[in-house]
Amino acid sequence: MSASVGKQPLYLKAAISGFVILWLIVAAFPFLWTVWGSFKVEADFFSRVGWWNAIVGTRTELQTGSPFTGDGYYGAWVTRDFWRAVVNTGIVTISVTAISLVLGTLGGYALARSGHKYAFWILIAALVFRAMPHITLVSGYLLPFFELNIWGHLATSIIVLVAINQPFTLWMLHSFFLSIPKDLDESAMVDGCTRFQAFRLVVIPVMWPGVITTGLFSFLLAYNDFAVTSMLLSQDNQTMVPKISSFLGSIQEQGNVMYAVAAVVSATVPLFILVLFFQRQIVSGLTAGAVKG
Amino acid sequence: MPHKTFFWFILPSVVAMILFIALPIASVVIQSVYVEHERVLVEVENCGPFGCSTEVRVDTEATEQLRSEQPLGRFNGLGTYLNRAHLAVEEVGTIVSTSASIGEALTRIYNLPFYKAFLFTLIYCFVVTPLGIMLGFTIALAVNTIPRLLKGPVIFFSLLPMIITPLIGSLILYWMFSSNGILGATLQTLFNDPTLTLRQSPALTWITLLVYGVWTAAPFSFVVFYAGLQTVPGDTLESAMIDGASRWERVRFVIIPHLAPLATFVGLVQLMDNFRVFEPIVGFSSEASATSLSWLVFNDLVGQDSQAFGSAAATSVITILGVVILLTPVLIRTWRDFNAKGA
Amino acid sequence: MAQIRLKNVCKRWGSFVGVDNFDLEIPDREFLVLLGPSGCGKTTTMRMIAGLETVTEGEIWLGDRMVNKLEPKDRDISMVFQSYGLYPNMTVYENIRFPLRVRRIPKEEHDKRVMRAAEMVELTDFLHRRPAALSGGQRQRVALARAIVREPNAFLMDEPLSNLDAKLRVSTRAQIKNLHHTLKTTTIYVTHDQIEAMTLADRVVVMNKGVVQQVGTPTEIYDTPANTFVAGFIGSPAMNLIAGTMKDGVFSGQNISVSGFNKSIAGEVTLGFRAEDANVATEGGEISAPIYSIELLGEATMISMRVAGELVSIKAAKDFRAEIGDTISASVPAGICHLFDSKTGARIEQD
Repeated sequence: MSASVGKQPLYLKAAISGFVILWLIVAAFPFLWTVWGSFKVEADFFSRVGWWNAIVGTRTELQTGSPFTGDGYYGAWVTRDFWRAVVNTGIVTISVTAISLVLGTLGGYALARSGHKYAFWILIAALVFRAMPHITLVSGYLLPFFELNIWGHLATSIIVLVAINQPFTLWMLHSFFLSIPKDLDESAMVDGCTRFQAFRLVVIPVMWPGVITTGLFSFLLAYNDFAVTSMLLSQDNQTMVPKISSFLGSIQEQGNVMYAVAAVVSATVPLFILVLFFQRQIVSGLTAGAVKG
Repeated sequence: MPHKTFFWFILPSVVAMILFIALPIASVVIQSVYVEHERVLVEVENCGPFGCSTEVRVDTEATEQLRSEQPLGRFNGLGTYLNRAHLAVEEVGTIVSTSASIGEALTRIYNLPFYKAFLFTLIYCFVVTPLGIMLGFTIALAVNTIPRLLKGPVIFFSLLPMIITPLIGSLILYWMFSSNGILGATLQTLFNDPTLTLRQSPALTWITLLVYGVWTAAPFSFVVFYAGLQTVPGDTLESAMIDGASRWERVRFVIIPHLAPLATFVGLVQLMDNFRVFEPIVGFSSEASATSLSWLVFNDLVGQDSQAFGSAAATSVITILGVVILLTPVLIRTWRDFNAKGA
Repeated sequence: MAQIRLKNVCKRWGSFVGVDNFDLEIPDREFLVLLGPSGCGKTTTMRMIAGLETVTEGEIWLGDRMVNKLEPKDRDISMVFQSYGLYPNMTVYENIRFPLRVRRIPKEEHDKRVMRAAEMVELTDFLHRRPAALSGGQRQRVALARAIVREPNAFLMDEPLSNLDAKLRVSTRAQIKNLHHTLKTTTIYVTHDQIEAMTLADRVVVMNKGVVQQVGTPTEIYDTPANTFVAGFIGSPAMNLIAGTMKDGVFSGQNISVSGFNKSIAGEVTLGFRAEDANVATEGGEISAPIYSIELLGEATMISMRVAGELVSIKAAKDFRAEIGDTISASVPAGICHLFDSKTGARIEQD
């Protein structure tokens, strides 16, 4: 907006650049630091001598003969079976995303196209549900789940995450569907489609951007969850986040912290990739909710 | 859309929400008025060579049986809500009547677990939300003026703190702030105080938790405001320039009013999200100096020997009430929007 | 091919009345235009016929079937939407073929019928483009082709020209007229543009606030408007309407006095006349007032004057010249005048 006319004075330009650089350091440095440190031994990453050691890896070289070591990763992935948690996370997040989208597109479409009052009340209820702290819901699940003997399974967690995800998915898809002109499905119905055919053949092909964006957020919710997966999964079925937290439980053991650091970095990588490829969708998703919400 | 079609479209989603959100809330409310069974005690007469003595013993079998017959426990009414671990009515009463000054009373009340968690939750909520919004707004203004080519990468890095798994994000910061980490060690040198550690300094713990909160909250505000800035009407901005408004006046009189509705939205959403603060407490292992309502529930549920369902449920109900209170303005706004749209 | 009957159709949302007691028979092959300002219920009426809106009360008959409860797909009608409702992910060809596909019409026939429809609207060169790559007029023609490909019972068109620019509007209008002539399918056409209504319609239904004001041929509507609403809505410029009093066959108001009416009419009335029926008089005309503005239209000169608080337009010869503020006289004989009840707005017949 100010590119052509309002030329910034030099001091303002410098201040802005300085501020942006500062923010970038704040935002990104913790990640870079942890990634770098994950290839060191504990004595370097948590150095009593000085943080410079973490950069050059003095103790790492002493202990392993090279300034970089994959010991943390080996320990986490192989010794402590982190790979199993990765597989579980994969199963959980993919299932949650897929099921959420199927239920959410159906429901969101209905909500966007129904002018009745009850549609509004469902949206309001969803808004209230979305605000519920997950851990309080978990405290409602545990006892019934123990009684029904369905505690600990991946499937249970998947269904629970899908349900917890629904309010948000409904809202987001509802607002995406609203942006698709009603004329489209109405002309399909006049052309000879049932409501469901119009939805499947005409509306969904146009909805892909919205579905992808919503899918990303469902994925993030399932991936980032700690409350549900840590409380509802048995030891064997643990996903990455509760697994990492269980590494911390046995922190006294030498080197275990580095397992956690390596696992943390491993778990961050998919998120990096996600933002790298889907930055635009994430931004549009956040704003879609804001502008219309 | 006819009712019948609507019903079939919405059914799966509504069933999921009723089963796993509405019913659990009901279940929490019910559980909160029950409490675990006490152990069944029996008097056993022990007769030995030196005569008989009666002894009180735990009847493990009967206890087990009772627990499996009535898993909810026994009815306790509002007892759990009022006990020491929650609202602590009695204790607060004693404190108020025996304390010499208000300050002392508050300190003593603060030492009760529920009030400690409640206070931190509130402070976290009302410090992190405005700071996050302000930081996000400033970043948005700054990023909006940098060359287009740089915007993409800047936005990429800016998104990271927001999308990072909360537990992982807090661990990353925790390791940096721990006494042997880069920031913790630097702080010790800076203040020349080798005892300044997260473990020993509640103040430092609070500050790092708040820093973490702002760090993860700011990107959301940034993205929303940045998108909002793209829609600031160019005509208004240019006519403000012609009318002689300075750079700051343009921000003050054109941009901020334009973004105000967005700010309300962001504020309300973040307030609710921050009220649920939970993972950082686990990540920073800060339970000694700072806890939150969500963490109290978690702590009851992972209890070492037995899970305190009743206690967790009571805290949950109180937390839900808090959320609903924070939510009221959003609901009123949505209601008004809907009515305006309908008319 | 079918006739359409609407029997006392009503549409209400809560206490809001969208369409009130719409009763009309549309014979086979008729081109019927629903005309009215936005929010008058014309689109709602059409959507009820299409089945996109439920009917609160009354019955809709297509041919010999009562269709109130039928889904849109079972009514065998086709519709052209204001924003066309093209499927953006399909090519033009696929868009036109879509109704055949979902109606399970034998595959062998598709290509022949699509090509015929495309030819009718001159789209054969664009069949493999996506709608996004077409101009507004071309998109409009795709929508038309999609409507005619199926040979339905009736066409419904909801303001199909309103998104086109003025020039295209004229040529597409002619195309629609020609299509109707060729296909002879019953057509219901919704518009707020009275010129479209006049040029296209066999019959026009003028609506306001959900109520039918007048049904008639374009000439009837223009020449004998049933009330002040129709009089003020039809024509460009609209009919001049002046409030005044009638006494002994003489209508009088500020700056105006018209004599020669039937003496049985008396009291407060509204007098109406069309700009092109009146003339500038050299002297002694019924109206005498200063000129408020003067506009050169090319083929004529439009003069406006303030009469009884209203701006009144009079069409003068194209070489008429005067200055704003000059007082002139205009002849408005009783013969060109329409009279309306000042309270109800209903037409008062003079014979």
